This record gives sequence, structure tokens and C-alpha cells, in this order.
Amino acid sequence: MGTQIKDVIIKPDAPATLLLDKHADYIAAYGSKKDDYEYTLSEYLRMSGIYWGLTVMDLMGQLHRMSRAEILEFIKSCQHESGGLSASIGHDPHLLYTLSSVQILCLYDSMDCIDVDRVVEYVRGLQQEDGSFAGDKWGEIDTRFSFCAVATLALLGKMDAINIGKAIEFVLSCMNFDGGFGCRPGSESHAGQIYCCTGFLSLTGQLHQVNADLLGWWLCERQLPSGGLNGRPEKLPDVCYSWWVLASLKIIGKIHWIDKTKLRAFILACQDEETGGFADRPGDMVDPFHTLFGVAGLSLLGDEQVKAVNPVLCMPEDVLQRRGLQPDLLS
Amino acid sequence: QHGRVKVKTTAQQEEEKKKEREKKLKIYVAARDACFAKRKEGVKDEEALELTQQLLSSNPDFATLWNQRREILTHLETIYDSELHFLESCLKVNPKSYGSWFHRGWVSSRLPRPNWVRELSLCDRCLSLDDRNFHCWDYRRMVVKMSGVSVEKELEFTDRLISSNFSNYSSWHYRSTLLTLLHPESPEPKSPSRDPQTHSHQYELVQNAFFTDPNDQSAWFYYRWLLGRGNFNCFVVLYFPTLATITLFCAFLFSQRTICDLPPGTISDITNEHNLTVHWSEKPTRRDCALYTGRSESWCRDSATDQELFRSELSVEKTSVLQSELESCNQLQELEPLNKWCLLTIILLMRALDPLGYEKETLAHFQTLKEVDPMRSAYYSDLCSKFMIENTILKMEYAEVRVFSISDKNLTTLCHLDQLLLVTHISLSSNQLCRLPLQFAMLQCLEVLEAENNLIEKLEGLYHLPKLEEVLLRNNKISSLADLEPLASCPKLKHLDLRGNPVSQSDGVEAELKTLLPNVTELLL
Repeated sequence: MGTQIKDVIIKPDAPATLLLDKHADYIAAYGSKKDDYEYTLSEYLRMSGIYWGLTVMDLMGQLHRMSRAEILEFIKSCQHESGGLSASIGHDPHLLYTLSSVQILCLYDSMDCIDVDRVVEYVRGLQQEDGSFAGDKWGEIDTRFSFCAVATLALLGKMDAINIGKAIEFVLSCMNFDGGFGCRPGSESHAGQIYCCTGFLSLTGQLHQVNADLLGWWLCERQLPSGGLNGRPEKLPDVCYSWWVLASLKIIGKIHWIDKTKLRAFILACQDEETGGFADRPGDMVDPFHTLFGVAGLSLLGDEQVKAVNPVLCMPEDVLQRRGLQPDLLS
Repeated sequence: QHGRVKVKTTAQQEEEKKKEREKKLKIYVAARDACFAKRKEGVKDEEALELTQQLLSSNPDFATLWNQRREILTHLETIYDSELHFLESCLKVNPKSYGSWFHRGWVSSRLPRPNWVRELSLCDRCLSLDDRNFHCWDYRRMVVKMSGVSVEKELEFTDRLISSNFSNYSSWHYRSTLLTLLHPESPEPKSPSRDPQTHSHQYELVQNAFFTDPNDQSAWFYYRWLLGRGNFNCFVVLYFPTLATITLFCAFLFSQRTICDLPPGTISDITNEHNLTVHWSEKPTRRDCALYTGRSESWCRDSATDQELFRSELSVEKTSVLQSELESCNQLQELEPLNKWCLLTIILLMRALDPLGYEKETLAHFQTLKEVDPMRSAYYSDLCSKFMIENTILKMEYAEVRVFSISDKNLTTLCHLDQLLLVTHISLSSNQLCRLPLQFAMLQCLEVLEAENNLIEKLEGLYHLPKLEEVLLRNNKISSLADLEPLASCPKLKHLDLRGNPVSQSDGVEAELKTLLPNVTELLL
């Protein structure tokens, strides 16, 4: 009797070099897929999809190949009366897509496309009495939304619009026995939530509240024999965790606790040589989401063919330098 | 999208699939547009419910449609029961949609008489299919809160899950929150024997798990937490009022330190003796400290040889429990020599019982750990470094000296520097340190630093050290003059050894250093 370790096996003929040109072609063509069924199904997250595509193109130095004017128009038509932005036209506003749109406008240095003051009001209005943030007016609470709120405001230079002390209190109340964080107080630790919470604590200058030794251990135990990272114990590896886990480790100063060589090999194996792009694990279907996080992960690992990425905001460092934003990291 | 395998198809299959997708797309777009149209016109009727239902059944992440449904349900003020029925089928298809779970919670809370028993049973069923579904666990926590299910009952629930399944991390996690509710600080209840959730029961439960399956990592994670519970911060308090800064440094053994300024006028002259008392508002403690005539510093600390101080968190019961656990883990380790969880746990147990006594074994186990789990070598090196520093501090405390010496110990990182406030001499030679971090600047009494034979590139922490006279950095990796700039803020620095560093090879470095550090009389390049 014994638990089998859930993992994947990397085939010997898996891609071992970074195929940047193929990925750039894949993303550049992705936007023109408007008559595609799967593309339409994912309309509910379109704003984030655009952010993923643009960011990875910028990291590869290929941002110029995307349709700037069209995207800016699209964003304008996604701002609602409340100030919040929706994923697409006709959809309802939400913090997730408000952050994505602000991130896109930073990449394009075009913040004046939207009414910034209204965005700030929208974010402020979503903070609850206990410091938490609802995702929208319907009231779902999640630490992801705490991150979205402060990241949005940080990019706009308006963090003082909210009750930061209370916001911090809430996020800290989501810290668990293993040093990690979950969606709400009492929720299980999960790499995605950990990224959001460590990112939040970085932006609010509270990284000293993290138990870096304990959390770093939990995070480095995400690395499986294949070299890939999972999101929590006993789960399969996934290239997107090369971002959530790796960025968290970078933020708390423990990125050296991961075997970088093995992780790099795993990420590269997730590429599709035919179509370009990255999949969640070797052999699966690619998509822009995993493509961004694969490339961003490689950037954090030090790949010099890719621009430096900021681990807190998942945006090119040079874009953030332009805005004078340099979130804390533990050393 | 996750877990979608790429399947190779022929050209004809591609063509057929393409036609099928075009058809599906048309239907989808029509339905979506119909939903949006209804909403735009403000029509909140059964048909709108039908339309949104159609789309949400296959795409429950389409959040705007759930919003629309909530608007319709609010308007119609009925049909909540059939909504719950619809949601159950949604959750069967996709049990991991944020939108579905949130909507169910919204509906449940709007019912005049919510059926929380039914909701709990839904959770039981869902968790029996996948006991790692965090959406379901979160929903369960909400149901438990709303309906007042007792902590004890929920602990029993986790007991059942743990004893019947592997892959139990979510259950162990839930236990950790439940136990914290039952026993906020201490895991030791007043009458240990009857209560099934006692301290020793806790250990038994988790031991059972990892002895049955030594590769069940969740039990090991939980165990590490359990070992650390109820360890109150013992403090070795170091006071350090200095006239220059009129500041009080307080350090707590292996945890955060506090600096607070003395109230102005507290020490108005140095010709008299001054007595200070410090009170903590958080813990009912006070300490007294005397600043003697003509002295500019003073300290007061609890005797490190006092058993009580270091072991106060280990009751007799706990010590014997831990001892027997160490024995059991050692036996397990003989059967499973490559099991890293067991090795690491043995190290943690030894540290809980007798950090100095078990130092040799600890080092040997770390060596083995790096061999059986090489991906995490850097973690083990840092952790071992931390433990060796702790041991050196303990030895220093016992000897009551102000010299901190930790050479040739494979140190990869520095920590607990806030415990070294009183140290005058520090030797870190022959290790693998890459930097002297910012926290180094806390060593306000430091006079001599020996750090030869390391990998030091940066000296960020060597600034504003008022008593630092001698810095020995032979055979390191300091490569530029900029890296040495912090030293300029150390006014008493006289002796600097930079031999065997890349920087000592640069042209004109001697002259540049004479400008940067004019007070240095002995410069070795």
C-alpha cells in the first residue's frame, strides 16, 4: 500500500529549446479567431485573455504586432457607469477585468482611455467592513479580489483610496497552518491564492508578516520529479504554476529553493512545436493563458531571450519602471 | 483550459469537426444574443431563465449570465427550489465553477427556510467524489457557520475522511482550523484522558497516517505544524540603551525584535546610575535594567542555563510523547531509508527535544536528505544553516561570551542576526555565504568581522557600525568598488583585508579605496 506520486513523464523527444518565433506567431493569429467556437466560449474572460496575449508579446519584444487601436476602443466600450470594466461588451463589470484592462492600458501607456477616477470609486466601493473585497456588486469574497483591488490602485497611484489596514487584516486572516493562503479565512492553501496574497502584501509593504521559511518550504515542495510544479499537494504539475509558485518564491526571496534546471526543462517540454504556444502539461492543447505563464516563468528563471518580468504584477519590468512602481521583495 | 489532450486527426476529420464547431458556434451566439437582448429590454421572465439555463449548463463560468439569473429570480421571487435543482446538475457536470457555487450560496441564503442539512449532505456527496475540491470545502464551511454545526462534529467528519482515504490534505487543513478554534493557544486541555481530541490523540492520529503510508505527505505537513504548536515565544531579552541613540533594543529568542525609543529625558546625564524597567503591554512581563555610571551601554538578559526558559513549552508529557515519537520515526527510517519526510521530521523532533545534544545526528541527516531529495538541496542547506546558527547562539548564551564563531559549517544563509546585538567578534570564515544582508547593520557592538573564504559579493549590511574596526574578507567575490561603499559609513574601520577578491585586481583600486576609506590604516590587497 502506498500513494503513487501524481506526475507526468517527459518524453525524450519533447521540445528542449525556446521557440519564441512560433509563440509570437501563435498569439498574433489568436486574436483573429473570432469565428472560432472555443474562442467565443471564453468571451466571459476576454479582457484577461487580451492581457495575457499582449503581455507575453511584450515580453518577447513583439507587442507591435498586436492591434493597439482596436484594443483601446474595445476597452473604452467596456467601462460601465459604475466605473468598473467588464470582460467584453455586454458583460458585467468585475474587479478581475478591471485589473486586466488597467494592466493593458499600462502596456500601451494609454490610461487616459478610461475614466480613472470612476475606476477608483468602483474599487473603493467593493471593500467590505472586514477589509475584504467583493469581486463585484453581487458580493463574492476572495483574496484574489484583494489583490486585484490593490494592484489596480497601485498601477493608478491611488492606493490610499481604500482602507489599507483593514484590507491587510483580512488577507492575514487567511493565512494557514502551513504558511500559505486560501480564498477566504479557513480556506485551504493554494498556489494561485498564495501568489495573490504575497503580491498583495508586497504592494502594501507587509511582506514581513509572511513566514517566509515555512511558506517557502511548502512552495518548493510543489516541485515534482518531472521538474514541473503543482498548485498544492498531490496534484498534477501545470505550467501555470511555474508562474504562481515561482513568482511567490521570488517575492519572498526563496526562488533558489527550486531546482531551476529541471523546471526549465519541464516548461520547455510544454511547448507545441507545431502550433506554437504552451499547454498546461506536455502533449495537451495550448492556449494564451499557459503561453504567458510559461514564458513569464522562464523569464523569472533568468532566460535572457525574454524581457525581465515583475513577479508581483506579471508585467514587463520596463513598463513598471515607466510608472515608477517597484514593489517590495524579500531578499 | 486544463487537461485537454491534443489528438491528431486526419484532414477529413478536421473538416467535419470544423463544420460541427461552426454549427455549435451559431447556436451559441444566437442564445447569447437572445439573453443579452432580453436583459437590455429589461425582460425578466421564464424564457430568459430558459435561455440562460441553456448556456450555463455547458458554460457555468459565464458569470454575467448568473448575474442575470439573480436579477430574474429576485424579480420573480420564487422558483428557488428548482434553481437549487438546476445548480445540482451544473455542479455534477462541473464541480469546480466559482460561479455555480457562489450562486448556490446566494440562493440558499435567500430561502425563507434554508435547508442546511440538505446543503451539508450535498457537500458530503461532493467530497466523497473528490475530497480535494476546495470550492466544496469552502461551501461546507459556510453551511456549517450558518447552521451552527459543532466543531466536534466537524472534527469527527475529518476523522472519517482521513481514516478512509489518502489524498487528505484538505481534511488535515480543516482540522488545523478546527483545533485552533477548540484550543486557541495551547494544545493541552485540562483533563487529558477523556477528551478524544486531546494532545496525544492528535499525535496518534497523524502518526497513524504516516506510518500506514510514509509517502502521504499531507500527514507530514500537518505533523510539522503540530510539533510547533503551543510553543510560546520564550524570550531572552537583550536591552541595549545607548546614550548615542537613546534607544532600547529588545530581542526575543528566534523571533521578532522590537526597537522603541526611551522617553525623552530618561537619561539626562551619564554621571549617575540609572535604573530602567520595561513593561510589555501584550504579555504580563517586565524586566529591569541598570545603566551604570560612565557606561554607554548595558544589557540584561535571562539566564540561558535556566531549563525553564528554553523548555517551558515542553511539558513533561509532551517531552515523553516526543521522545517515543522520535523512536518510532527512527524505526520507520530504518524501513524506509529514502523517505525524506521521515528524515526531516526526525530532525525537527531532535530540535524540539535537544538541539545541542543532537547536533551531530542532525548534520548527518541533512547530508542524507540532500542525497535522497536533491531538488530541494538549497532548502536543506539554508535550513541546516539556520539550525547551526541557533546552536551557536545557544552555546554563546551558555558561555556568556560576546564572540560568535561559526566557521566551516557550510552556511549558505544568515539569520537571527537580531540575536547578535551584543557580539563584539564574529567569525563566519570558510562557509558559502554570498552576501552580508541588511540585518547585519543591527550588530551595533561589532568590532571584528572575520569572513574569509566565502562567496561574498555584497556587503549591504556593513553600514553605520559604530565600533567596527577590522574586516577580514580574504578570498571572496567582491568585484567592484561600489560593493564596498557601505564601509565608508563605519567611522572606526582601520583594518581591511581584500586579498583574493576580483576587486583587488582592478587598476587603481588602492587609490580609490584610500579616497573612499581614508581612516583605514591597514589595507591588504
